[in-house]
Amino acid sequence: MVVTQEAPRTADELATTLREAAQAKLAVVAVGGGRAQGMGGAPSRCDVELHTTHLDRVLEHSQADMVVSVEAGITLEALQEHLARDRQFLPVDPFNSPGHTIGGLLATGWTGPLRFRFGSARDFLIGIRVATPDGKLATGGGRVVKNVSGYDMMKLHYGALGSLGVIVAASFKVFPRPLHDVTVTSDGGWDDADRALATPVAPSALEVFSDGRVLARYTGSRDAVERVVKELGWTAEEQSIWDRHARRAPARWARIAAPRTELRRLVEDLPRGAGWWASPGVGVAHWAIASDARSVKEVRQRAEAAGGSLVMLAAPDDFLREVGAWGTPPATIEIMRNLKRAFDPDGVLNPGRFVV
Amino acid sequence: MLPSPIVEELRGVVGRESVIVSPNDLRIFERDGSIEGALPDAVVLASTTEHVAEVMKIAARHKIPVVPRGAGTGLSGGAVTIRGGIALQVTRMRRILEVDPVAQTALVEPGVVNQELSLVVAQHGLFYAPDPSSQKACTIGGNAAENSGGPHCLYYGVTTNHVLGMEVVLADGSVHWVSGDTPDRTGLDLCGILVGSEGTLCAITKIKVRLLRIPPSISTMLAAFPSIETASQAVSAVIGRGIVPAALEMMDSVTVGAVEAHYHAGYPTDAGAVLLVEVDGTAESTRELMAAIGKVLDENHGYGLREAQTPAERELLWAGRKGAIGALGRIKPNYYLHDGVVPRSRLPQVLSAVGEIGEHYKLPVANVFHAGDGNLHPNILFDMRDKEVLHQVESAGEEMLRAVVELGGALSGEHGIGLEKAAFMSWIYSEDDLGAMHRVKDVFDPTGILNPGKIFPDDARRTVHLAGRTGLAVEAKWW
Repeated sequence: MVVTQEAPRTADELATTLREAAQAKLAVVAVGGGRAQGMGGAPSRCDVELHTTHLDRVLEHSQADMVVSVEAGITLEALQEHLARDRQFLPVDPFNSPGHTIGGLLATGWTGPLRFRFGSARDFLIGIRVATPDGKLATGGGRVVKNVSGYDMMKLHYGALGSLGVIVAASFKVFPRPLHDVTVTSDGGWDDADRALATPVAPSALEVFSDGRVLARYTGSRDAVERVVKELGWTAEEQSIWDRHARRAPARWARIAAPRTELRRLVEDLPRGAGWWASPGVGVAHWAIASDARSVKEVRQRAEAAGGSLVMLAAPDDFLREVGAWGTPPATIEIMRNLKRAFDPDGVLNPGRFVV
Repeated sequence: MLPSPIVEELRGVVGRESVIVSPNDLRIFERDGSIEGALPDAVVLASTTEHVAEVMKIAARHKIPVVPRGAGTGLSGGAVTIRGGIALQVTRMRRILEVDPVAQTALVEPGVVNQELSLVVAQHGLFYAPDPSSQKACTIGGNAAENSGGPHCLYYGVTTNHVLGMEVVLADGSVHWVSGDTPDRTGLDLCGILVGSEGTLCAITKIKVRLLRIPPSISTMLAAFPSIETASQAVSAVIGRGIVPAALEMMDSVTVGAVEAHYHAGYPTDAGAVLLVEVDGTAESTRELMAAIGKVLDENHGYGLREAQTPAERELLWAGRKGAIGALGRIKPNYYLHDGVVPRSRLPQVLSAVGEIGEHYKLPVANVFHAGDGNLHPNILFDMRDKEVLHQVESAGEEMLRAVVELGGALSGEHGIGLEKAAFMSWIYSEDDLGAMHRVKDVFDPTGILNPGKIFPDDARRTVHLAGRTGLAVEAKWW
């Protein structure tokens, strides 16, 4: 199979390339930073790789409005560097960093520890521009922080893994750098994590690890942060720990999501000796898989019984085929398929990768 | 008028008393909080999801429009049955089905009143964050349909950030759960696209919402300014300093005068504008933040800074803000309210344009709005008994929105497009942008029976006329 590599210079060019590929019924896989390439099923076909590498500009950043518009191919790090000049940031800290592009993060819906305080990009994505296989570029939302003008098209594409279109640009509400930012650690496992969850100021990030370590990050006013940290009585930790944490990307790993109240039980039921880390305040855990496919399926079964899911983020092809990328399809899969058909009637976008 | 066999079918579902067809009674359901009205052919009072689903099936079979309706407090004509048909009233579905204080969630029926939920969950130290000014009356189902906001959305986000999942009935009468209380659910985010769809994609029959812990300390401050411009600059200065308060609200002198006469909340009536600022957190953080904010306001021509000393004082300050629109009745019996939103730094420009438009049409305008979000609420005050004035009011409103769009803004921050702004959608979206939204509409409601005549400009009855008067250049789109 010969895969054509395309790296359009502009959004219009990208839309044209996409249209031409779709007209020829060629399968198109959009690629950003390639950091989440292992997520989902292996593409059943790939004729054209559409790279967003050259769409890497900051289109507009208004410090006063705390709004930024970027092209999809800009890396998270480049955007953060730009925002940092005005003491602002986008509170997204995905694993397998650095190198994620904004388009990739929106398409995959990947998040990190800061999600506890700030939510996911779903919550601060205020505008989106998407190329569809008919060669059109469609905008949803805008550049203002609050907007109910028409359907919330941002939600349609967030986490859709490029199944309905290729994201070419996005606008975000950004945040001021916290006045004070402190990280503390303990080795008290889930019980200590629960203590941190109950502090009068909730942590901005809270991570528990399979070795019993806990990391809590407190941001906000100096007095409040200092008081909480003192009451907690844990050991101070360097801020750089978060960059190191974000680099995690096991060769074979899965994301377990569950109602927050169920997460601990699910994680404690992982195979003995399993390596994992979890965000108990969010309801998400990541598992570095060292067991066989059968035990992954058992864990998925338990996660689904609790109302959650297990999604494969990377694994060798044969392992992935045996486990399946996504698990039981949602009950509303027919509606999702109808949406897929409405936007991508010939099924040229990322075939085989997503649930639709 | 619906043919009587159809009325009988509907009665077979919900019972004889729960289908209203008498013209006199239908008048009650003619309007929402906006200025246009239209009589439905029938009102069906649903009590259960099954009622909603069965009514929808009947409507689908006979191709009758269905408009889901909560308390009817909406401000964009979303609940107005402009093409007739069935007003599907869900206010009898008003049970709070479940509160989980550990998971911090609640499952409610669509007719639950917004404020009631917060009152009920307060015993667990929790609250429901979205707080539209109509929260004493508006329903959570309506809030989800409109993706409503409120003063505290500056910090906490709008309704969509707080809805975890919903039970919905689609146009064919099928019932589905979308999303739930698990993050990262597999598949497309149907819940996300349905919240804010203004009754054009589904009827909502249950909502699972996220609850938040009531902050241990809340601090509210009032500050006076010589003018709207200085107050707007102070707003930008606060946010520019990296401080995002829980709420940051502005009222102009017209509003302050009316509010003070009504509530005696101690608003300074000599001020050109007043800001209401709230921060929450721990005692330490609110003290520190308020001190920092006070300093910024002071540096930006703020005066008469006054912090509420007791919960009662705080309540009174908020009563003035949330009851402001009612208080405006002292000036004129009717108001027409838009809610365009601009990039925050454009507030001074847009507000001066709003003032000029009011003067041009000789209509009093009162501004009371979410300054921190750049979400303005100009209230054009008038007397509906004066038939001549209505057209003037509409034209003035349209010009104000035009000014908003010319400054890079959007048509609606929290009230929805509904009936009143459908004709203006092409100001901010291209044919292709709207085409993508149409695809979504066609998937959920292929025959177009759900809330027809709303959101999409081609459905609108009024013709669009782009009467630019401000002389402001139309900005390039944001790419």
